Amino acid sequence: MKFSFRFLMAFLLTLPMVNGKEFDERHFPIQEGGRIKPLDTFARNQLLAFYGKRSVKHEGLSAMDWIFNLILDPEKGQEVTKVFNIRSPEVVASLGLAWTNNDHKYVFNEVFSGLQAQFGLISEIHSRKDETRISFERQLLEIYFNATRFREIAYSLSCLVPAVSVNDPILIEKLNSIPGKRVSYAHLIKYIPLISEIYRNMMEKSEEEWSNTEKELIKILLELQKISSNETAQALKLIPPSHLDKTGTWLSPWELMDGRSHEPHQDKILIALEKYLAGRYEGDKDKMMSAIEDYRVGILSIPNAKPDMYLLKKETWVNEVNLFYTSVAFYLLAFILLGFSRMIQPKWLKIISYVSLILGLVYHTYGIYLRMVIMGRPPVSTLYESIIFVGFTVVVFAVVIEYLRRDGLGLFIGSVSGTILHYVSFGYAADGDTLGMLVAVLNSNFWLATHVTTITLGYGASLVAGFVGHLYLIQAIREPHNSSSLKDIHKNLFGITLIALFLALFGTILGGIWADQSWGRFWGWDPKENGALLIVLWQLMMVHMRLTGLAKPAGFALGMIMNNIVVVIAWFGVNLLNVGLHSYGFTSGVALNLALFAALELITGFGTYYWAQSRKERLIV
Amino acid sequence: MKKIIKSVSHPKIFVYTVIWLMVLTVLGTLAQRNIGLYASQQKYFSSYITWLGDTIPAPGGRITMIIILVNLASMLFKHNIWKLKKAGIIIVHLGAVLLFIGAGVTAIFSSEGNMVIDEGAHSNYVDDYHSMELAIVNTSKENLDEYTVFDQPLLINGNRLSHESLDFVIEIIEYYNNCKVQRRTEPADIRYKGMMKNFDLVELNLEKENVQNRSGIVYKIENSDSTNDGVYGLILGQSVTQTATINNQNFEFLFRKKRTYLPFSIELLDFKKVLHAGTGIAKSYSSEINLIENGIPRRVLIQMNEPLRHRGYTFFQSSFIEAPEGEATVLAAVKNYGRLFPYISSIIMAVGLLLHLFINLPKLL
Repeated sequence: MKFSFRFLMAFLLTLPMVNGKEFDERHFPIQEGGRIKPLDTFARNQLLAFYGKRSVKHEGLSAMDWIFNLILDPEKGQEVTKVFNIRSPEVVASLGLAWTNNDHKYVFNEVFSGLQAQFGLISEIHSRKDETRISFERQLLEIYFNATRFREIAYSLSCLVPAVSVNDPILIEKLNSIPGKRVSYAHLIKYIPLISEIYRNMMEKSEEEWSNTEKELIKILLELQKISSNETAQALKLIPPSHLDKTGTWLSPWELMDGRSHEPHQDKILIALEKYLAGRYEGDKDKMMSAIEDYRVGILSIPNAKPDMYLLKKETWVNEVNLFYTSVAFYLLAFILLGFSRMIQPKWLKIISYVSLILGLVYHTYGIYLRMVIMGRPPVSTLYESIIFVGFTVVVFAVVIEYLRRDGLGLFIGSVSGTILHYVSFGYAADGDTLGMLVAVLNSNFWLATHVTTITLGYGASLVAGFVGHLYLIQAIREPHNSSSLKDIHKNLFGITLIALFLALFGTILGGIWADQSWGRFWGWDPKENGALLIVLWQLMMVHMRLTGLAKPAGFALGMIMNNIVVVIAWFGVNLLNVGLHSYGFTSGVALNLALFAALELITGFGTYYWAQSRKERLIV
Repeated sequence: MKKIIKSVSHPKIFVYTVIWLMVLTVLGTLAQRNIGLYASQQKYFSSYITWLGDTIPAPGGRITMIIILVNLASMLFKHNIWKLKKAGIIIVHLGAVLLFIGAGVTAIFSSEGNMVIDEGAHSNYVDDYHSMELAIVNTSKENLDEYTVFDQPLLINGNRLSHESLDFVIEIIEYYNNCKVQRRTEPADIRYKGMMKNFDLVELNLEKENVQNRSGIVYKIENSDSTNDGVYGLILGQSVTQTATINNQNFEFLFRKKRTYLPFSIELLDFKKVLHAGTGIAKSYSSEINLIENGIPRRVLIQMNEPLRHRGYTFFQSSFIEAPEGEATVLAAVKNYGRLFPYISSIIMAVGLLLHLFINLPKLL
């Protein structure tokens, strides 16, 4: 143990060092979904919605590269890069695309022309309520919205992208541009008033009399007009509001092009962004670096509600390293090592397995901690976070159990359930941004920290109890005569059940008190409340059945396995009902998984229970 | 006596009633999808007897919980339980008994409703969520309006209502929990007066959400005079007031949510809705109000999770109305004598469980 502890400390000390990075383009603050986040998170979330992954895997593009490529060359981005991942053959067919394309990835233009052909259908679907839409209709609508947003993103910086080349010496001087280099819309419209004289002269002449300068001017003006047709593309809210603004709503560059006066901080950021795009377009590293520095200065000059640089960098780092992936890798490793140690029996394998489990837990904890820091709220406030937190709870229990028992039981529980819960959470993370804002009633850190955390801990402890229940029955099959080992596991199971009951009961009552504080009633028989109540009642029943002898240890183990079904239904099933105050998000496709889980628990639970019973009977005979 | 206590307090009773409570909970939850929260709550949880499939009588939520309460409470009278080793268990059960008593107090004595106040206006009464009343206002007295109010329990088909302040008798012909107004296609009988001359009330099926139900009433006035005797109808939220002049007295007939008047009034100064920047997601709602008592105003801010508590009433930010003519806040008002029970019992139960865990955990690990 000593060895692992020292290793752990050394590891912990190195953690903070890995993430003290310089400010760069990934950290550009952008407002989306009610909060300021790094551009990196924004790009990843967009890509996740279009492509299903946080980077363009098949082309080896990072989310940031993808978004800048798209912005600098929208035509190419729409014609060449296959980022629309459509998994439904029905939708593909209705868009007139070929399903034969192996990875079902399509470019924007082909998707868009398909959508245009279906416009009547789409607007009909859009006019209906969501409950009346079938799965195909929802998917089609989603792709329509995605395509619209894709286009908006593609052109939302088109006023800053170097797009117009100026060649005439007079115009170059007047428009303050450099020969051979393109300039942006934003740059040109600043200097247009200086050439109004040329323009007026020109208008007095007929077209044949125009000089080369005048001819080029007309060309430039037409180009500007073409670019300005994108002014409604306002998806990238990169520019902080004016110091007089009270709503805290950030602006997109195009919104500032409407002739309003810019404040110094807005101008600094706008110009730095323009410079960065030019640098990127020209492949000029130094120019990009200096633009990033200008950008940083611009952010520091924001008069009020300055975004927190530390958090922007932190969040980007979290995106990059993905602590939960590392954590799951360690859990898997712990499981494999445990398996080997069982087969070939050396003790040191088990110790490494234990260390690996703890390392996984460290990453897991650090990931949860960073999410708390970034959002400034307690660990659990969404379904996704509850899964991660339950996983954390289970592994903590497992580590303690292993410490007390040292027979691999805790390692097994921790590595298996930690891994499974991580994978479930990855499934939820694939739905989009996991760092969303909360509706008003949930916006209370005190209650999130007490009620929600306690009840989630209760879910975790309950799952551990169910797991131990399984192991009890397995042990009863393997060694029905080893009564001391069985007794031992039973005692542990009962203890964990009491802890689970305490957490579930106390969490439920705290929830009642919160409800009393915010809705005016302690208990309202709302589905989520009933779900929590069912867990409490089930566990109360099991404890009393055991005490009265209605349930023998094996029966108690079976009961706690069944408790898993109750927990999972209370946890995920309530949203399926889609009624009540607690159903904040409807999750489709969960029903099948729930049913599968329940079936699995029923079959394995009762199967092992009766098998264990028959083994026992045979022994007695 | 010992024997009775022993059999009444047997934990097996608890096990079986808990199983039944779980069945009720599952049924009551699933039923919400079809009949809505309020109806399902009435049917499964707030009832003494529940009718399964509308035909088989079974113990309802209240009976079940009373059995659990008796079972729990009698357990505390057992002799062999009072041991130090079981101190934690006793405390937990004591806490649970308190929780159930509190639930009983709440179920019987609490009342809830809401107040709708426009910005700049004030109000001194609470509208009940579910109960209705028929109010008859005599407006011909000088300086005051005389109200005669009949509560919902009196509004039963065939009931005859009279009061010394009224020179006439009212007979309830029809009470609808949910109905709509429908224009008559052919001229009505001469008996029909007021709105009922041209319209009729038609009963509708109950809505899932109780607040969407529009109650209505059809009643007969008797013993006044020949011009006013007849059949009248009223519906919740009716825009035109039903009036009548009987024996030189002017009356208004109002059918509305049951009102409870408060010993103070609330003035809405400002309602605020804050969104998360750049989104449509609400971050907070709040009402800045004046609590006016004996003519003296006091400023209070009511917001989500921060209600106003005053004189046994609690006012919560519940909803709001945005209309072109201005904003209005909807405050939920609750009077609950049992509201402290869960707080106390949860502390007791937590202490008991922790104590029990501390006493027994070493043995269990």
